[in-house]
Amino acid sequence: MSRRPPRGEYIETDTGNKVARKATLVGTQNIMLGGKTVIQPEVMIRGDLNTAVSIGRYCFLSRGCCLRPPGRMYKGAFTYMPLRMVDHVFVGPGSIVQAASIGSHVHIGARVAIGEFAIIKDYVRILDGTVVPPNMVIPSFSIVAGQPARIIGEVPEGGHDAFELRDLYKTVGNNPQPAV
Amino acid sequence: MAPLTPYTYIQCPCSDESSPDADDDDRTFDPRAARSNYSLYGLEYLLYCEDCHQIRCPRCVAEEIVTYYCPSCLFEVPSSNIKSEGNRCTRSCFQCPICIGPLAVNSLEAQPDQTHLAAPDTPSASHGGPYILTCSYCNWSSTETGIKFDKPNSIYSQLAKLYNGGEHRLTPKEHKERRKEALQASAVSGDPLPDQTLDVETHFAALKAFYQSQLADANASTTGLSSLEGLGFASPASLSRIMSIYTGGSLHDKRAKSRIGTMREALTSDEGLQLASLDESSSISALRLHHASTIPPTTYQHQTPHLGALPPHTGGARFPSHLRPIPCLLRTKRSKRCPLCRHIISKPEAKVSTTRFRIRLVAGSYVPSISILPLNIPQPSPDGALAPLVPAQFLLKFLNPIFEPVRVTLATPSKTPGRFGAKVTVLCPEFEIDANTDVWEDALKDGVAGKDVAAGARVRRGTVGEDGQQQPEVGKIWERGRNWVSIVVEVVPASLRLDLLAATGKFAGGEGVDAGPLREDEDVLEIPMFVRVEWDADTGGDDVGSGVGKDQKEAKEKRELAYWCVLGLGRVRQ
Ligand SMILES: [Zn+2]
Ligand SMILES: [Zn+2]
Ligand SMILES: [Zn+2]
Ligand SMILES: [Zn+2]
Repeated sequence: MSRRPPRGEYIETDTGNKVARKATLVGTQNIMLGGKTVIQPEVMIRGDLNTAVSIGRYCFLSRGCCLRPPGRMYKGAFTYMPLRMVDHVFVGPGSIVQAASIGSHVHIGARVAIGEFAIIKDYVRILDGTVVPPNMVIPSFSIVAGQPARIIGEVPEGGHDAFELRDLYKTVGNNPQPAV
Repeated sequence: MAPLTPYTYIQCPCSDESSPDADDDDRTFDPRAARSNYSLYGLEYLLYCEDCHQIRCPRCVAEEIVTYYCPSCLFEVPSSNIKSEGNRCTRSCFQCPICIGPLAVNSLEAQPDQTHLAAPDTPSASHGGPYILTCSYCNWSSTETGIKFDKPNSIYSQLAKLYNGGEHRLTPKEHKERRKEALQASAVSGDPLPDQTLDVETHFAALKAFYQSQLADANASTTGLSSLEGLGFASPASLSRIMSIYTGGSLHDKRAKSRIGTMREALTSDEGLQLASLDESSSISALRLHHASTIPPTTYQHQTPHLGALPPHTGGARFPSHLRPIPCLLRTKRSKRCPLCRHIISKPEAKVSTTRFRIRLVAGSYVPSISILPLNIPQPSPDGALAPLVPAQFLLKFLNPIFEPVRVTLATPSKTPGRFGAKVTVLCPEFEIDANTDVWEDALKDGVAGKDVAAGARVRRGTVGEDGQQQPEVGKIWERGRNWVSIVVEVVPASLRLDLLAATGKFAGGEGVDAGPLREDEDVLEIPMFVRVEWDADTGGDDVGSGVGKDQKEAKEKRELAYWCVLGLGRVRQ
């Protein structure tokens, strides 16, 4: 056995993904990471449900959140369908995501529940504690809150850059840089 | 109390009420004034007019609707349909009348049926009607009001033909025919025609038809008298005005001026007259029955049931069985114009599926952003509140977004407005920030390099103290980077003790000292700050006619932008 450098908290892949050693990724053959995605400790991704979980670039899965593909009765059998997430998606701590698709530049707050087959478009902000009912469609530039979720506002024109997660990506990992 | 994240809000110039001649430099903006709530915005909410060189806010821009769409099916609705069909989705998008969650169309047959699981896979064709609307949040279902549908699509038009309970609702044409038959029958028998109860839609349609015919009659007998009487109650002009509000402007009539006189109101249920049913004993007893199961009789017997405040979309529903699914309200994409020069300052692409903008002049690309960082906070309480009467230091970081170096001048009142004025000192109220260069390089590098170069170029200007810590110095900036500068502001929060307030008030001989209890958020330390930004802008290229390229330096023009902003630093400990 050769001597190895001390193990960091994160596994950093060639494509720049930073996956915490304490994250639970089950069924990794069904989990696709686009690169530069951060997966914090205690995150769970359910790739064991015979369908894909695909995550784009610069996504940030906070501590204790869970991604689980949605399922329903289809042609007489209970079937799971893919969960798709595009780029720059932030999922807050303790949130549970069972959406069918999440667009790019989406901020999901802490302790949010996103019901099965929900469709979330681009530039959407979901505030802490929101419960998005199953099958709900949330159009682009919506600010969403409540139980059940309702659209409470619009993302202003000057608020688009705030969804960028490039800088946040740099602040975690085995060699984190201070926030700018 | 929740800790407060520091914030910066900017005041839009549109709220400046001072007249142009009263240029009073001593005037201080009070962020606590009642009106200030309406003029302060986060930088991301502000736009910028490049022609007026001024900040524009959501309150002063003029909006124009580019696209109407349904937020649920994301279908674009032509504006002509809005006039004819109203502002709700006319496909199959509904909200739950109980919890406003989205309603899904489900086949009644495909309800969780355990035998199905064992049975051989049957094609989806077996998922035939009838169909129902169900809420996936609270489990409400349209079967609770007795409504089922034959087809899974165009639920809106199917629902329009159904009463709760599933009874077929007459179309206006059928309605008329029925009425005609009844009229003939009553003519034969000699009995008076009974009044009928109308549902909301029929009621509106009847009234609309009646008023339209009234207007047509009034137009026929045009007289040429003055228009002023036209504003009275029940006059044709006000009627047509109200009609155009409720029916989308299709009735707007240019000859409205010439009509006077009054018109009669609807007299029969055909014309839309609906007599109010004042005998509500049946409703009351139904309410009693409804509640009897849940509430012990002693508590409700002496209460009158609440009969007012009916939800608008349900046509006066008082019982769960009266509820109707709510069709989804359409949303819009809007472009925005400068209120003064009418130039477009924001214009989204019309298509619902795209998030691109044709024009998007956000204030953040013209106005320096100000971020607040704690530097030296002595004795903070666990929730981060500031200690009263102890100087605390904050860093203000100004980031220059434009491609020219800017000169910044700051001014704050030495004592913040309000009962508990804090002492404020900006250690360096005048400084320059370098131009925002190489952003493209920065963006392209994507990785580590860009930001590191900037970080590496940090220059600290303060002197280093004995403990190796940098000491803030008056007149010097704290730190400088590629296109940013940070400066130190020192505050001494006032004590929030009301007895002290009263004592000092008496000592000063003031009579009107308000020693009332602490008001909401009065413990938040807010500093009003006047910011003036000056720079030399390129004017070259704008005027084609002027002597081109004689001297590049002469093509520069002095620009200035000045505005009030408010810095929220934190709460003061009580
Ligand atoms: Zn304004
Ligand atoms: Zn729709
Ligand atoms: Zn519901
Ligand atoms: Zn303008």
